[in-house]
Amino acid sequence: MNVKQLIFASSIAFAISMMGCKKDDPETTNPTTPASGYTNGVFITNEGPYGTGTGTVSFYSRSNGSVSSDIFNTKNSFPLGNVVQSMEVYNSKGYIVVNNAGKVEVVDANSFASVGTITGLTSPRCFLGITSSKGYISQFGSGATGEVKVIDLNTNAITGTIATGNGADAMVKVGNTVYVACSGGFTNDTVVTAIDATTNAVLTNINTGANPASMQLDANGKLWVLCVGKWNSSYTSLVNTGSLVRINPATNTVELSLPFASTTNSPMHLCIDAAKTTLYYLYNGGVYVQPIAAPSLASAPLINRGFYSLGYDPTSNAIFAGDAGNFSSNGKVIRYNQAGVVLDSFAAGIIPGNFCFR
Amino acid sequence: MNFFKTSICVFCCAHALLGNAQSLVDSIKQLKPVEISSLRLNEFSSGNKCETIDSAMLNKYATSNLADVLTNETQVFVKSYGLGSLATTSFRGAGASHTAVLWNGFNIESPMLGLLDISLIPSFFLNDVRLQYGGAGALWGSGAVGGTILLNNALPFNRGLTVSAMASMGSYNDAQQQASVEVSKRKFASSLKIFNHQATNDFTFTNIAKRGFPEEKQTNAELKAYGILQENLFQISSHQKLNTRIWYQNNDRNLPPSMTEDKSVANQKDDALRASTEWQRTGERVALLARVAYFNEGINYTDSMIHLQSKSRSEVTIAEAESRFSITKLDAVNIGFNNTYSQASTLDYGVNKYQNRTALFASYKLHTKNNNWNVLLSARQEFIKNTSIPFSPTIGVDGKFLKYFYVKMNIAKHYRIPTFNDLYWAQGGNPDLKPENGWSEEISLNHQHEIKSISWYLGASLFNRTIDNWILWSPNAANVWSAGNVASVWSRGVEYKLNATYTFKKLKVKLSGLYNYVLSTNESSAIVGDASLHKQLMYVPIQNAQGSISIGYRHFSVSYTTIYAGYRYTSTDNLVFLKPYSVSNVSLNQLILLKKWSFRIFVQLNNVWNQTYQVMQYRAMPLLNAQAGVGIYFNKPNKP
Repeated sequence: MNVKQLIFASSIAFAISMMGCKKDDPETTNPTTPASGYTNGVFITNEGPYGTGTGTVSFYSRSNGSVSSDIFNTKNSFPLGNVVQSMEVYNSKGYIVVNNAGKVEVVDANSFASVGTITGLTSPRCFLGITSSKGYISQFGSGATGEVKVIDLNTNAITGTIATGNGADAMVKVGNTVYVACSGGFTNDTVVTAIDATTNAVLTNINTGANPASMQLDANGKLWVLCVGKWNSSYTSLVNTGSLVRINPATNTVELSLPFASTTNSPMHLCIDAAKTTLYYLYNGGVYVQPIAAPSLASAPLINRGFYSLGYDPTSNAIFAGDAGNFSSNGKVIRYNQAGVVLDSFAAGIIPGNFCFR
Repeated sequence: MNFFKTSICVFCCAHALLGNAQSLVDSIKQLKPVEISSLRLNEFSSGNKCETIDSAMLNKYATSNLADVLTNETQVFVKSYGLGSLATTSFRGAGASHTAVLWNGFNIESPMLGLLDISLIPSFFLNDVRLQYGGAGALWGSGAVGGTILLNNALPFNRGLTVSAMASMGSYNDAQQQASVEVSKRKFASSLKIFNHQATNDFTFTNIAKRGFPEEKQTNAELKAYGILQENLFQISSHQKLNTRIWYQNNDRNLPPSMTEDKSVANQKDDALRASTEWQRTGERVALLARVAYFNEGINYTDSMIHLQSKSRSEVTIAEAESRFSITKLDAVNIGFNNTYSQASTLDYGVNKYQNRTALFASYKLHTKNNNWNVLLSARQEFIKNTSIPFSPTIGVDGKFLKYFYVKMNIAKHYRIPTFNDLYWAQGGNPDLKPENGWSEEISLNHQHEIKSISWYLGASLFNRTIDNWILWSPNAANVWSAGNVASVWSRGVEYKLNATYTFKKLKVKLSGLYNYVLSTNESSAIVGDASLHKQLMYVPIQNAQGSISIGYRHFSVSYTTIYAGYRYTSTDNLVFLKPYSVSNVSLNQLILLKKWSFRIFVQLNNVWNQTYQVMQYRAMPLLNAQAGVGIYFNKPNKP
């Protein structure tokens, strides 16, 4: 080896060893946990990246505005799974519905310590507590079906199945009747299924608009149902547009149906304020307001900005709007007051999809 | 951190054996290429870094697929979704669709997806694989952005009758059978190869996404594949040759769930028919080549759980003609024409879609009298109705100096036309998409020498590349997803390679090491405040390395290979990442040579240190697993 070769060889070796010494650990941030536990704030369910990833739950503290991210994995050292769909707090327990993982993770709502897992589900969507020992989980099921699974909350075992319309989704309990919005799931449907919460028997299927997905009960005891509409087979336009429908639970009949105009956009995420007199929803790149007494749909949005998710915090009277950004990095939540003025914003996880107010 | 350990490992280890035993296998199989598979490939690619995986090396991976070969033997990062699942390549921090894959010069990527699942390519059907790093739009057209994979077949004349058969068994009920018959006369050769492969791939893994990290068995991962390759080669006259090839393959795969999913019932069936014919005339001063190919591919994806059935079929017809000639003794000219007609049908496009592409390309190469230096100028202009395709020039320089040093320099324009899915997918497809395009520049310095029984090679490459109008699917304000020319990606990095071979009588020891440092960042976005700005692309490791050592003695050989991949981000804001991994494999080979008959016994051990690792987030990978097989070869030379 002559001198030149030696220089060349050693310069390569040097360059490589410099690369080897470079610190290549990505930075990690340590999430904060509120000292008082997760008692006064908002849980944000983040769906997680498409494909193989895991969703997370973030917590927003009302008292100081601090945000704790991925609180489930932090506490329990395993991820929630793919796709974190929704969360409910019932009897001081948090029920986190994980769609493709086919399970509901049960946690102590204050500490987020895992206390159990409800397994054996297929595309679950929402949890609803019925009694201290009984809960319902709506699920799409496999293929063109829709079901509500009856859960023994003491053992977390599935004790029964109630067949509903396709794609059982949001649930609301009015008196002793549970209303299940059948959003079509992997196909389509047009009904809200009413179930007797004591006997688990289906009372009736109420025809609404196409693919009802979210619901709210108002101050007058009326049930508002937001239907997303029905897409054509190639998902280019709506065959049936979305609609806002009012059901009278006393008679289980539709009293009012307000169709949306757009054939390319679905209304989503129906929310209601603390007084239960004003509805909010996402539509056509904006946040819309609908007083329950209004005879027709609002023509202009309250907030002229598109979001992926929407919630209304009845404690702080703030609108929580989730922005999923590019869908492959952490999203944001923007808080607005009832007039649509921005209060503040904070970082959520990847694809913030739903809110659970505690 | 643990990279230091790995780098030691890299330089204590080496590449596969090119020793006596392997070249014997080679001569048994008689696969020495005698055919010019593409004029451009051999003579008109100056200044780009290239790697060749020859038939001896491929033979070592006889029961593997192209993904395994590239993972273990090259500097390309292979993104694998797991055993028997989808695998794609990333050259120098580019995306899966930024690799052009050419089979005997024809681009075989799906016009719908713009990529090829390299886990479906059996190495048994290939005679050599060449990798050309860097952009090469002028040479190979659309998609030759990060790099180009050239899959080649070669059929020799006058080798007599050769029959071979091989069977192997492996972990997870892996069973493979291969057979080939080759008749090779003085002016005619014909070969038939068939393979059959089945596996359940139900390996055990630790599910890190579940409470208590339980041991689980992979489900819904079964694989069934079979294929046939038939080739003919005719010597029409002393200057003219004609070949024909037909490749049919059928794959039926269940798609396993990720660790974060409960179960999967998804299934994908692929079938591909690829037929081609090529005529070439080689003269003293002028060479002519004309060829035609027809590809017909179908995908049938079903997932009854989500009530989905997606069927698609694409057909591609390619006609190409090129000519090589010299004006003086110091130059060479290549001019050519390509026409590619693609059509595809799926319910998601509404009506059938088609596309006609015409391209003109030319190269001019000038070399010094002693052939130590050459300069290459190339250009391509492609035409598609209503689409503006950038003019793509290249300048390349190859040079030899100080006896043992070689330098390569290349500046090239590259482009990638939008896929059918990007253009025509019913919801979100955007027919107004522009081609992605940009420039790539590279310089490589290589040193090769041998003193007595030791020979070595050192290479270092520095590259820089931009891709503008990068096509991404993103949601608009109303959450409707559509394709757009939204991103610009800047990639740059260094690549090192080292080989050393020691030969002593019948002993041959070879060491090899590779190391890459690649930054590939997104530099623009249509989304306000996009967190991906200036961040490393997902699943592009900043560092990766490989090392291997091979020892051959007489007809026995053993090799040990380690691959290392550094941190890979799994979110575009780089807040979530996968830890580095390193995986090692061992292969053992024994040949028994008789007069007309030969036998081969081999054992392949994968993941010998039983590492738990993830290439893709929450996609389980197998622990230690093995394959063993026997091969039998028979050759009867032609009568003189």
